[in-house]
Amino acid sequence: MTAASVVAVVGVGTLAGLDLVSVPQAMLSRPLVAGFLGGVAGGRPLAGLAMGALLELFAFETLPVGAARYPDWGPAAAAAGALAALRGGGWDSAWMVGVMVVALLAAWLGGLTMHLARRLNGAQLRRRQRALDAGDPRALVAVQWGGLARDALRAAALTGLTFAVGQRVAHAVEIGWRAPRPLADIAVVGTALGVAVWSAVRLFGVGAPRRWLGVGALAGLAVLAVAMRW
Amino acid sequence: MVARLGIPGFSATLARLFMIQAAWTYERMLGVGFGFAAEPMLRGLKRVGDGRAFREALARESGFFNAHPYLASLAVGAAARAETDRVAPEKIERLRSALVGPLGSLGDRLIWAGWLPACAAIGLLLVAFSAGAWAVVVFLGLYNLMHVWLRVWGLRAGWRSGVGVAGALASPGLRRALEAVAPVAAVAVGIALPSVMLWFPFHAGWEVGAGAAAALLFAAVVRLLQSRATGLVAAAAALTVVLALGVLWP
Repeated sequence: MTAASVVAVVGVGTLAGLDLVSVPQAMLSRPLVAGFLGGVAGGRPLAGLAMGALLELFAFETLPVGAARYPDWGPAAAAAGALAALRGGGWDSAWMVGVMVVALLAAWLGGLTMHLARRLNGAQLRRRQRALDAGDPRALVAVQWGGLARDALRAAALTGLTFAVGQRVAHAVEIGWRAPRPLADIAVVGTALGVAVWSAVRLFGVGAPRRWLGVGALAGLAVLAVAMRW
Repeated sequence: MVARLGIPGFSATLARLFMIQAAWTYERMLGVGFGFAAEPMLRGLKRVGDGRAFREALARESGFFNAHPYLASLAVGAAARAETDRVAPEKIERLRSALVGPLGSLGDRLIWAGWLPACAAIGLLLVAFSAGAWAVVVFLGLYNLMHVWLRVWGLRAGWRSGVGVAGALASPGLRRALEAVAPVAAVAVGIALPSVMLWFPFHAGWEVGAGAAAALLFAAVVRLLQSRATGLVAAAAALTVVLALGVLWP
């Protein structure tokens, strides 16, 4: 791994972290995209995409609504995608369990750091209160760019931390794993798909959408059956 | 475009709307970003009353505001138009306050609980069918079609309507989109979730059934824990236990 690839990973993670709230909210922060971009930074886009798709199942639960505290998936998924790309080789569920634990904790930590950044934005706002209340455009610009800079720093630090810790943890788990591999396979599928199923029921399990969710699920099961037979 | 639409500062305001939440605070929520975005549209007021009208308008527009970030463009356009038309300050304050609830609720239902899950489900389906990078391209393309359209439409409709912006919210297109988005998202998510099983590289046939059973069991656990922990926290805890088990296995 070169210094350039680390810089690329942190750059992608920063972009994804900024996208969640600050700019441009174009869903570059979704794990599907951030994981893929992390994979691009690591040299194997499709390995990053596989990791991102797995984390996307967890992210179904996240609705970035206003003042609520929600996880920040972007930096975590970018770092995890890059780790998958740099590892190379096929899918190894034991290794995946290690990366997923770190990525989930990083996403949760991302929510916490976003709350702290918002508190710091508030402190800057209070310092500039008089100028803002007088309609000074320079104060407005300063507070706005201050918020953006804090968010960028937060996302960069989070990506770097996730990448460094994830690499060590996943490597240690891959070497030290002694249980039968199916345990890891089932744990990975069970938790990711379980959270997604619960999120779908929570989102669409009431009123008319429930019927449509049922129709979709039946169609999905039919697709699965046909594809497995084929 | 600016000249054609006759909206002063349209492009600059539109660009700034993409960063309306950059200085989000618990005190003013989107307020600072609102003022930052509206500023180019208010510059015409600099010529009125030695710039006092501009400063007063900017201070007002930087006060507390909260809404869905995409639909905030409607409020920015309407408030900037009202300021430019020199509508009474109390009336502008009332307009801003009145838009908070409806724009938040509309955006949450239309985007966060509808369009976003629908697009994510389509992206996952494409991954399951080995579409590779196309999954990302289609997801971003579809999602941002609605995203960018909402911002542009909102700013134009807000400016056109001014204090009468409530009429724009009742537009038939928006109402139809709201009615259609939940069923579409529910069907897309319903199809995607079983289909992603295709993409997991199971080592044996029985693992498919075991994985599905584990998913349903875990969904039930998350539902039971919902008041105490999110799915993310429950999953992190479960995977940590699995990790310890895997490493300490005799």
